[in-house]
Amino acid sequence: MRHPAFLGALIGILAAFSQALLISAGAPEAYGFCVACHTRDLVNGLVNIITNSNLALAPISRNAILPVMSVAGVLIGGFVAAKVHNEHRVKKGDFRAYLIYFLAGVVVLQLAMIFGGCPYRAALRTGYGDFTALAFIIAMAAGVIAGTLLMLKRAESEED
Amino acid sequence: MATGILTKEVAIYAVPLVTLMLGLLIGYLAQRSGYCSIGGFRDWVLFRHTRLLSGYLTLIVASFAGYLLFWLITPQAMEHFFWAFTTGLSTPIPGAPGGLNFAAYLIFAIIPGFFVGLICVFLGGCPIRQTVMASEGNYKAAMFFVGMCVGSILFAAVVSGWVVAMMKALGFGG
Repeated sequence: MRHPAFLGALIGILAAFSQALLISAGAPEAYGFCVACHTRDLVNGLVNIITNSNLALAPISRNAILPVMSVAGVLIGGFVAAKVHNEHRVKKGDFRAYLIYFLAGVVVLQLAMIFGGCPYRAALRTGYGDFTALAFIIAMAAGVIAGTLLMLKRAESEED
Repeated sequence: MATGILTKEVAIYAVPLVTLMLGLLIGYLAQRSGYCSIGGFRDWVLFRHTRLLSGYLTLIVASFAGYLLFWLITPQAMEHFFWAFTTGLSTPIPGAPGGLNFAAYLIFAIIPGFFVGLICVFLGGCPIRQTVMASEGNYKAAMFFVGMCVGSILFAAVVSGWVVAMMKALGFGG
């Protein structure tokens, strides 16, 4: 249960099950789980309801009585798991760190929306047979490798 | 129009409930396992650890297996499975801003992919890891999540339009 591969298998199967169950509510396909798109749907959907605006969101969230709630679930599920296992620790940062993380969140969401998914939906789209999503995953791996090597280099130059 | 197991009248009520249940389960297990896609590639580069990477690679294979399974059970709910065969290689699954050509969508996959990887590895985790760390009490990760929320409105209100206008001006109109 605690091995990441178990969760990987579970998300894959449940995402397909969720589509089989809910697709009548609206498109798109391969949309069972996505941290970026589902955050977008939740935020824009609630803003639309509250302010009567018309921000873009996926048809499934637009047609349903409330938008997809997966990200709210992840937050609550993670919180419960951390509390139950005594791993909930408040870790504060300074203003500079908060600003960097906030801006990074904004930027990462723009990038994910331009592609149309976070790393998870990219995996689902690849499994569904969309090879542009595979290009995203390969590019992401290249970005991670470049970033890791940069960090290694920086750490080495600090040691000298 | 794809038809799922539930009729549209029922599905519109089931969407928030089912996705909430799914999210709860994924969030709980992601906290227990430290699940992270970006971390998988990072740990492999740094230490040749495959624990996290196996989680992400399993997801790709399992999603194919899952969609295949449900395509066999309810083909009408998996209308365009397997996408490359039903729709072709040159059209992506909807998600990115519409109205552009294949070259644009390939650029939209490669450039954002690279920078999502680069940025997230410096932050110590992919979007799901940040969200789970936020729920564990990490305020920096919580700020990342707040940034994603603000970014959602920003993208819908302005950035999406800019990107499409720019790509069309550059000759990538579909």
